[in-house]
Amino acid sequence: MSTRITTGMTQRNILADLNRVSERLTRTQEKVASNREITRPSDDPFNASRALALRTSMEGTQQYQRNIQDAQSWQETAEVALSDITGAVALVQELAVRGASDTNDPAARLAIADEVDELIERIKQNANVTHRGRHVFSGTATDTPPYAETPDPYVPAADAYNGSTAAIARQIGPGVPLDIGVLGSDFLGGGPAAADGKLLHVLREVSQHLRADDGAALRADIPRLEANLDTVLGVRSQNGARQNRLEAALGRLAQVEESTLKQLSNTEDVDIAKALIDFSSQQAAYQAALRAGASIVQVSLMDFLR
Amino acid sequence: MSISSFYGLQTSLRGLLAQQRALDTTGHNIANASTQGYSRQEAVLAAAPALAIPQGAVQGGAGAHIGSGVDVQAYRRVRDTFLDLQFRAQATRLGEQAARAEGLDRAELALAEPSENGINKQLSEFWGAWSDLAADASDSAARTSLVEKAGSLAQAFATVDSQFALVAEQAADEYASLTAPGGEVEQIANEIVALNGTIKRFVTAGDAPNDLMDQRDLLLDKLASLGSTSIVSNLDGTVDVTFGGAGDPPMIDAAGYQAPALSNPGGRLGALRDLAGPSGIDSYRAELSAVAKTMADSVNGILTAAGAPPFFTYTDAPPAATVAATLSVAVTAATVRPGTSTEPAANDLALQIGELRGGGADSSYNAYVARVGSRVREARRQEANAEALTNAVQDRRESVAGVSLDEEMGNLIRFQRAYQASSRAMSTMDEMLDVLINRTGRVGL
Repeated sequence: MSTRITTGMTQRNILADLNRVSERLTRTQEKVASNREITRPSDDPFNASRALALRTSMEGTQQYQRNIQDAQSWQETAEVALSDITGAVALVQELAVRGASDTNDPAARLAIADEVDELIERIKQNANVTHRGRHVFSGTATDTPPYAETPDPYVPAADAYNGSTAAIARQIGPGVPLDIGVLGSDFLGGGPAAADGKLLHVLREVSQHLRADDGAALRADIPRLEANLDTVLGVRSQNGARQNRLEAALGRLAQVEESTLKQLSNTEDVDIAKALIDFSSQQAAYQAALRAGASIVQVSLMDFLR
Repeated sequence: MSISSFYGLQTSLRGLLAQQRALDTTGHNIANASTQGYSRQEAVLAAAPALAIPQGAVQGGAGAHIGSGVDVQAYRRVRDTFLDLQFRAQATRLGEQAARAEGLDRAELALAEPSENGINKQLSEFWGAWSDLAADASDSAARTSLVEKAGSLAQAFATVDSQFALVAEQAADEYASLTAPGGEVEQIANEIVALNGTIKRFVTAGDAPNDLMDQRDLLLDKLASLGSTSIVSNLDGTVDVTFGGAGDPPMIDAAGYQAPALSNPGGRLGALRDLAGPSGIDSYRAELSAVAKTMADSVNGILTAAGAPPFFTYTDAPPAATVAATLSVAVTAATVRPGTSTEPAANDLALQIGELRGGGADSSYNAYVARVGSRVREARRQEANAEALTNAVQDRRESVAGVSLDEEMGNLIRFQRAYQASSRAMSTMDEMLDVLINRTGRVGL
């Protein structure tokens, strides 16, 4: 039996075809307007979930970059202070060499000792430097200045280290924490009270020996000063190496971010050229369906019977 | 035996009347060309019982049957009941798939992924807040921001969960309103019962109430899209209907309507019941709660291992999935512990938690989104499939039962011509009789 094509069938099929084409057209239009290949997970479940994961990893990368930038400015603050401390130690060294010469009378040595005390204050002030209100050299006890102000008259306990000995870390990559703190206790030490041979202890002794007019002891202090200057320089070079590492990590993260962004764009962004071509071909199909439908519905046997 | 002179007039009259009936039927078809559920009808014409002449009708004296014209034998409804059966089976499937796709679609919308408001974004911001706190552990702005972000994350879980609950509730409500006393199922069934009674009266009188049968078939189609429907036709023209489960007692039989047992409804009812049931939207909620629990436990685990207070609290009361709905932040900006020690810059715990980004909670959530998306996609695919099949059967049914206006126009001309010819035959007969009655035997007058 051949299929009878009835009027209702023709109309229903034309309508169904038009609906189908216009649905596709709307979908393409939505894609072009939103510039998204995936507007709902069901559009492409696998890629939708991939896009979510990529987005998470991209936001993670951006977070690491922020962490690094913060660490960099932290380190710069420390570096400025350390460089000034280096200068001050070098000056003390010069003064010590001058004071060690026995051509100085006690009054001259006293004057030098005053100068050394000033430099010690300068070093301590540098050690108390802050970055956004946080003390850089006190470990995790960032709210405590590592060294108290020197009282008048001087007591050895005033040079004690008040910070913590725990290091501060920043996350600079997935699973990569980096210590960014420099502990004041490592190079400045705890002063004469701690008698640890570190910078503050030696400086205070230099000042003391000057006041005591003890040339021999001063001469013995010079190599100790030198050793401590080396320590400070060591800390600075360590700091510099960290900055290089941060710089490198930042560059790498920027690359990762770029490639993640590219992948994300490949996954969820629409190919505009393709979408527009789809759009115009679907539009053509829609118009053709409309025209065909209109002419099929209009023609009937009645037009030819007379 | 001779034949009446007026015999031919009667034959032509039969022709006239029969063609007129056929024209009427064509007119009825044209009028109902776009009536839903209408099946085209045709007047079945057959030669009227012949006049039997036992002998002497032809040369040699033998008898003969002389044709006496045409009669309308029946008005036939052109319909294929086998196609009805196929259509209803497909309609049940389509009803089920459409309702399922609709419900799952709404659930997917509730997830709001990918967007700036989805849980994925909130999670990412939450991990970011921990990292920011790690960068400045004593900063009260960072602490406040963390607690805020955690609050909106918990809120996002609760919102999605409540949206899911709403979808399930709506499905349950619709199921209840369809099946309740006075609901759509009962209304349709009562109409069928009433039609059954009327049809029975006509059929037992030997009549075929075509248009009433069309109405009943349309109601059965509607019923089939709501749930699985099996129909037994009886000799008296009535139908018995079993609805919503093959083994259930009939919903409509000689005794009238009984509320259906709905043991395995299928169709729209089946899909609604599944959506509202434990394997439907509730399974989405359970999975969402599992994600929320993974997230909360991973954060709390790190904190409690270091002796710090837990960050999130929730109620986990199986079997109902309650974690997503009850997730809340247990600490304040002042009591957040970013480090094992209480020193202001101690940030080891915050660092560890920040490292959870992209970990178990994120990946289980992403997989969950993919699962929800796949199920919607699958449901839509099946719906499109069922729709295509239903349309194909509908086309076949239309092909048999639908009205083709072109065909009816052809018939119109056919019957009109036959009518004209019959009247011409009658006037020829008339002229013949005129000659016989008025002119014969008048020679010489």
